[in-house]
Amino acid sequence: MAILISDYDCVCAAGSGMEEIRSAIETKKSGLRINDFPGSDLDTWIGRVTEVDQQSLGPWQSRNNALAEIGLNLGTLAESIDRIKQQYSSRRVGIVMGSSTSSIDRTETAYKDLDPDGAVKSEYHQPQVHNPHAPSLFVADRTEITGPAMTINTACSSSAKVFATAARWMELGLIDAALVGGVDTLCLSVLHGFHSLQLVSEKPCRPFDADRDGINLGEAAGFAVLVKGDAETAGLPVLSGYGESSDAHHMSAPHPQGLGAKIAMEQALQLADLAPEEIDYINLHGTASQANDTVEGTLVGSMFPASTICSSTKGWMGHTLGAAGITESLIALDAFTTDVIPGNLNLSQLEEGLTLSISSDNKQQSVSHVMTNSFGFGGNNCSLVFSRG
Amino acid sequence: MTKPGSLRCRIQGLGVWGPGFSNWSQLHDCFLKKVDFDETQPNGPKPEVIPANERRRAPLPVKLAVETSSQASEHAGISPQQLNCVFSSGFGDIDITDYMCRTLNTETKQLSPTKFHNSVHNAPAGYWTISTHCMQSANSVAGFEVSTSVTLLEAVAQLTTSGEPALLTFCDVPAKGPLIPVLVNQLPFSASIVLAPVSQDNDSKNGAIDITLSVVAEPAEWPDLAMTSLQTLYQHNPSARILCLLEALAMGDNAEIFMPLSAETSLKLALKR
Repeated sequence: MAILISDYDCVCAAGSGMEEIRSAIETKKSGLRINDFPGSDLDTWIGRVTEVDQQSLGPWQSRNNALAEIGLNLGTLAESIDRIKQQYSSRRVGIVMGSSTSSIDRTETAYKDLDPDGAVKSEYHQPQVHNPHAPSLFVADRTEITGPAMTINTACSSSAKVFATAARWMELGLIDAALVGGVDTLCLSVLHGFHSLQLVSEKPCRPFDADRDGINLGEAAGFAVLVKGDAETAGLPVLSGYGESSDAHHMSAPHPQGLGAKIAMEQALQLADLAPEEIDYINLHGTASQANDTVEGTLVGSMFPASTICSSTKGWMGHTLGAAGITESLIALDAFTTDVIPGNLNLSQLEEGLTLSISSDNKQQSVSHVMTNSFGFGGNNCSLVFSRG
Repeated sequence: MTKPGSLRCRIQGLGVWGPGFSNWSQLHDCFLKKVDFDETQPNGPKPEVIPANERRRAPLPVKLAVETSSQASEHAGISPQQLNCVFSSGFGDIDITDYMCRTLNTETKQLSPTKFHNSVHNAPAGYWTISTHCMQSANSVAGFEVSTSVTLLEAVAQLTTSGEPALLTFCDVPAKGPLIPVLVNQLPFSASIVLAPVSQDNDSKNGAIDITLSVVAEPAEWPDLAMTSLQTLYQHNPSARILCLLEALAMGDNAEIFMPLSAETSLKLALKR
C-alpha cells in the first residue's frame, strides 16, 4: 500500500489556493512586495498574505492561526477532511503540522500591549496559543480530528518532515489517514532575526543568481490529506520517498560540502527505489542566501544529470520558513496535474561554476517523479520524493 | 509476535536532571525511597560534550537536554552518532521568547544573532548533533500538554521503521516574565531515554525492560505518581509527565501505563522485564 495525497491546497503571497498559484507561476507574476509589515521599517521585500489580518478567531486569535484558518477553507479541503473522518472515524486520523514561529506573533503582540503593571492582559491569556504546538491544537479544534496530533518545529525543514512522520504512523497502523500541513507567518521575530544575521535582501530575492544578496521572508499555510491506497489504480500523487539527516556542523550555516543534505537526498531516492536520472524535477531549497545556494547548487549538480530540471520557487512567495516544506512539496507535485515545471523566477545570471539545469523560464513537460529539498537551522535536512500515481 | 499497531522496543539507557536529582541513579533511589528527597536545585548542568566556549552561550534548555542525552547514550553504551533523535518541549525556550518579545518592543529591535539562532525549537537537537558529530535524523517536536506521549509515539514509530536505536529527550524550563501566569511552570526538567529494537544483540542484557506501545481508542487521564514530592513538577512541567514512565521503570515490575494522547486516544505502554 502506498501513501497517497488525496487532496492538497495552499495559500501564500503568490496566491490563495492552488489555482491562483498555478496562474501566478504560468504568468511569472511574483507575490513579493516592498516590506509593509506593521511595526517593521526594514528595507527588504516580503511575501505577505494580506487577507490574514481580517480574521477574528476569539480565544484562538493569532496571525499564524488566522493564516491556518484561511488555508483550511481553501478548495475542497473541508470535504476531503470530512470524508476521511467518516471513512476511518476521526480518532483514527492524525494531524502532523510543521511551523517555526507557531504563534509567537501573538506573544509579540501581548508584550506590546501589556497592562500598566507589566502583566499580560486577559485577552492574551491563551496558553493554547503561546506554545510551539499551537498550529496543531488549532487545526484539531477546527477540523474536529481527534486522533494523535504533533507539531514539528525544526525551523525551515518542519513541514517537509510532516510527510515522513505521517507516512510512518500510517505504515505502522497507528493511524489510518492524516492531515499534514505547515503554517508560518511574518512577524517581527523572523524579520528582525534574519536581519540580525545579515541574511535579508533589500531587493526581490534571486535564488542561485550570481548577484543574489539574501532572502525575502514570506508566509504560507499549506495542507495535504494523506490516505493509504493502491498507487496503480488511485491516480493520485504518491509520497514515494523521504530522507532526514543532520549536518552536525553549525547552528545557522550549512555544511560546506552539503554532507547532511546529500544523505537526505540519497535516503529519499533509496526509499523511492529511484536513480537520480529518474527525477524529472527538483524544487530546491534555494533561499537566495549566499551559503545555501552555493552548497545546494554544487551538490545537486554533482548528484543529478542535466535531464533533471531544477528551480527554487521562492521568487514567487519568499522563504516561508516552517511552511516552505509543504508549500514547495505542493508546487512540485502539482506539476503532475499542470505539466508545467516552474522556472527559477528572478534568475538572470547563474552563479559561476554551478552546472544545474535551471532557467528563469517555465517548462512545459510531463513529469513522473519530483523531489523537494528543505534545510533548516541546526543543520536539519529533509528531502521528499513524490511520484505520479 | 505483537499485534499490528503495537510496537515493541527495549529501554537501553536513561538520563535525568531536575529539582533534587542530577542523574538517573539519584532519581531511581528517590523513587525506591532509599534516600530522602531533597528538591534543592542541583547546580549546572555543564554538559561536557559541548565545547566550553559554546557551552557558555548555550541556553538552559540546550544545556539540560544535552546533559541528559549524554547520560542516556552513555548508560545505553551506544554512540550518539548511531542514534536518530527526537527532542521535545511543551513550551519551548520561554526565556528566549521573553528576550525576543522584549527586544522587539524597543526602538531599534536589535536582536542578538546568536540568541536568534538559538531561538529555534530545534536548538537542543542542533547543539546535540553538532557536539556529537551525529548526522542521523534529528526531530524536534511539540505536543503542549501531551508532548511526552507524542514524542514516544514518534520515536518508537521511527525506531520500528528504521530498525535503528533512538534517543528521546524531553525538556522544559521555567516560564519567564509576563508569560509566568500563562504557562505557569516554575521548575526545570529534562529526561532522556535511549530505545533500541529488540534483537539477539541486546536480548541477553540483564534486567532489561521491554516496552510495547499501542494507540488505544479511548482518552485517558494522567496517572498519579506514587512519589507525591514530585507532584508540582509532574503537573506543571509538560516534559516531567514522563515521570509516570520513569517511576514504573524504577519499580521494575511489569506494568501498564496509559498516557493521554489526544481528545479520543491514549498511549498504552506495557512494560515487561
